Amino acid sequence: MENIGALSILLAFCLTIFAIAASLVGAWKKKPFLIVSAERAVICVWGLVTVASGLLIYALMTGDYRLAYVAAHSNKAMPMIYKFSAWWGGQEGSLLMWNFILATYALVVVLQNRRKHRAIMPYVTTTMMVTQAFFLMLIAFLVPPFQVLSTGGKAIVDVGDGQGLNPLLQYWTMVIHPPTLYLGYVGYIVPFAFALGSLITRQPGDSWIFTTRRWAIVTWLFQSTGILLGAGWAYSVLGWGGYWGWDPVENASFLPWLTSTAFLHSVTMQEKKGMMKVWNLVLVASTFFLCIFGTFLTRSGIVSSVHAFAQSPIGPYFVAFLTVTIAITILLILSRLDYLKSEAPLESVVSRESSFLFNNLILLASCFAILWGTLFPVISEAIAGEKISVDAPWFNRVNVPIGLALLFLTGVGPLLAWRRSTPDNLKRNFLWPTIGMVATIAGLMAFGISHFYALLSLGLCTFVTWTIVSEFWKGTMAIRQKDGLSFVPAVIELTHRNTRRYGGYIVHMGIVMMFIGFSGAAFNQDTTVEVKVGDKFPLGRYEIKVSDIKMGQNENYIWQNAIVEATVDGKPFATLTPERRIYEKSQQPVSMVAIKRQLNEDLYINFAGMGSESQRPTIQAYVFPLVSWIWAGYWVLLFGSLICLVPAKVKMQYARTEVVGVSTKHVPATK
Amino acid sequence: MFRLRNSALALLLAGYCLAQSSSQYVTPEIRRVGSKLACLCGACKNTVATCQMLECHYSLPARQTIAKLQKEGAADDKIIDGFVQREGKKALAEPPNEGFGIMAIAAPVLAVAAGLGLILWFLRRYRQPGVVPAMTDEEVRQYQDQIDKEFSKLD
Repeated sequence: MENIGALSILLAFCLTIFAIAASLVGAWKKKPFLIVSAERAVICVWGLVTVASGLLIYALMTGDYRLAYVAAHSNKAMPMIYKFSAWWGGQEGSLLMWNFILATYALVVVLQNRRKHRAIMPYVTTTMMVTQAFFLMLIAFLVPPFQVLSTGGKAIVDVGDGQGLNPLLQYWTMVIHPPTLYLGYVGYIVPFAFALGSLITRQPGDSWIFTTRRWAIVTWLFQSTGILLGAGWAYSVLGWGGYWGWDPVENASFLPWLTSTAFLHSVTMQEKKGMMKVWNLVLVASTFFLCIFGTFLTRSGIVSSVHAFAQSPIGPYFVAFLTVTIAITILLILSRLDYLKSEAPLESVVSRESSFLFNNLILLASCFAILWGTLFPVISEAIAGEKISVDAPWFNRVNVPIGLALLFLTGVGPLLAWRRSTPDNLKRNFLWPTIGMVATIAGLMAFGISHFYALLSLGLCTFVTWTIVSEFWKGTMAIRQKDGLSFVPAVIELTHRNTRRYGGYIVHMGIVMMFIGFSGAAFNQDTTVEVKVGDKFPLGRYEIKVSDIKMGQNENYIWQNAIVEATVDGKPFATLTPERRIYEKSQQPVSMVAIKRQLNEDLYINFAGMGSESQRPTIQAYVFPLVSWIWAGYWVLLFGSLICLVPAKVKMQYARTEVVGVSTKHVPATK
Repeated sequence: MFRLRNSALALLLAGYCLAQSSSQYVTPEIRRVGSKLACLCGACKNTVATCQMLECHYSLPARQTIAKLQKEGAADDKIIDGFVQREGKKALAEPPNEGFGIMAIAAPVLAVAAGLGLILWFLRRYRQPGVVPAMTDEEVRQYQDQIDKEFSKLD
């Protein structure tokens, strides 16, 4: 079995080389049969990578402990679902999954475009297959997933049982989080490949943008989902209540999200005005390179992280791949600058166009700051000869103001008109949202809240919410007046007419809800106590009592949990059972926190352990205000993104406008 | 109360007890100093104050050291200097405002400034407050017809 798996990977690698050569020669010599042949090779690559993935999954599920990967990441006692998720639990398996997702995307692109985009498809195929060849090379020659255990390189050894998956990964969100994140990471190659293809062949117009718009949104959605699932996992499993710790691996997933968000906004400028063509190419390429860079960061050992894979020799290969591909992309863009000229001027600084520019600046500033902070310990060691730590306080200090500026622009953007906003227009649009913001801040201050950033954040949340609601309100009222629809059908009709615009507003609303959740962090409360069973301790409005300690075991782990009763004003509020587990194989202790989730605050209890001499339970109790808004915000973001994917009822042929002249007389309203 | 199938595992669980006093080192005074020191355990990006692993091999001894020095009357700065002397500048949670550490905050600020400069350049390069020609009545009528036609498609 291991031989078939390894052979499949090797054959797939050879076929990617063939696909690259056939695509390029076919395009150069104008030989369609070579181009079609390359596309068929892409289908075969998918088949071979699927066979290799299937074999590894089979080995994990059936416990083939002759394979080093299975012995290191699975064991008999693990539930079936975690045996499956062990596919991406280690370096070799996760790279195989990377390859599988990439091969699947390539297959879908080839099948979708059998009769479309024939001029650029050879270059799209080449770009995807070059990346595929690189990742297949890694698992074919450097970190093979089908390596068998052997004694002195001679006899194959079956160790009987494995070490099992890292206990921290044995949690339901970890079954979904990595594949979702990888679907995002890998998916960015599609817009990048089409952009390069369009650039090489000097396609007229912006066809690559229209072709890849949905890909970009879907990929962005996967990336957002992956990041949020990771945050949810950290909150529920790591036992400290944080959903974001500015860990290098977390940052690596956030960087391409920021550039792709910038791309999704600035691409509107290209669609509507034919502007920022170079910039959009830079953004789509940066996003792809940041995905590769993130993969490199988590696998090279360059930065220390609890999330990183074990150090392996693949780092220099990533550096070489990134250097070559970045150099080629820069050369291509520079050689095509004449083709990328802007088609329209900017008429006013106070306009929707400008707001997109500032939005991009802020997103990119955040991206740079996070990248800089992540690499600063390495850079400082290389330049100054001493490692300087950059931890959560620094990231918060830099990114909180940037985030608030972004939130402000989220509200400002829709209030500004395309082309230019007049003072009248500004006054009319900004008055009520600003009053709402000031009233919110004043109201919160009246309730005794004085935290500057929290006040500003919640005030801005009101400002943005007001702008979004008023956009829906104005549009809905116009439709009601025109078509005589009742309110809800009018809202649906409005959204359906321009799904990207109104879906986008709903996504913004999701982001606002997340900011409400982030603001709650300013009011966190916590305590760590060692108490006797039956004793009470206070936290915020709660009185907490450990009423019992229980123990037990199953095949996979031994557990001990605390029965914790919380009361509010003497009335029972919740009974929580935080648990400690020790996994039999790895002997690693893991905390399973208990959370009472509410919209206003979460009561979060971690059973840290028993005091060695006192044998009293040590409880870490936290109150996290507004955290649930973050998760609720995700569902709104998901809903909005799905709406963006629905085809609009009204095609925007008139999206690009130009001023042809001005009438000297009063023009009566249209019929 | 309950019976474990494998008593060896029960012993194992008992073996994972916390040091009795670990929770004593989570006081506001210790947090005040600890918030300026990085936890160097390698598993988190928290400070000594916010690292929530009670038995962390770095933050627990660090908190104990802070408590001991505070008991001896040492000032916060002196305690922090002691950590920097032992561990180097990496002991600090945020880069110091001296030497290469300044670059930590300077680089993002410079990047934003460069971005603003780029936007200004873009605005100057592409801004063209258009002087638009006056249209004849015939042209206006043509455009109005076109607008009416397009609006009628929306119905």
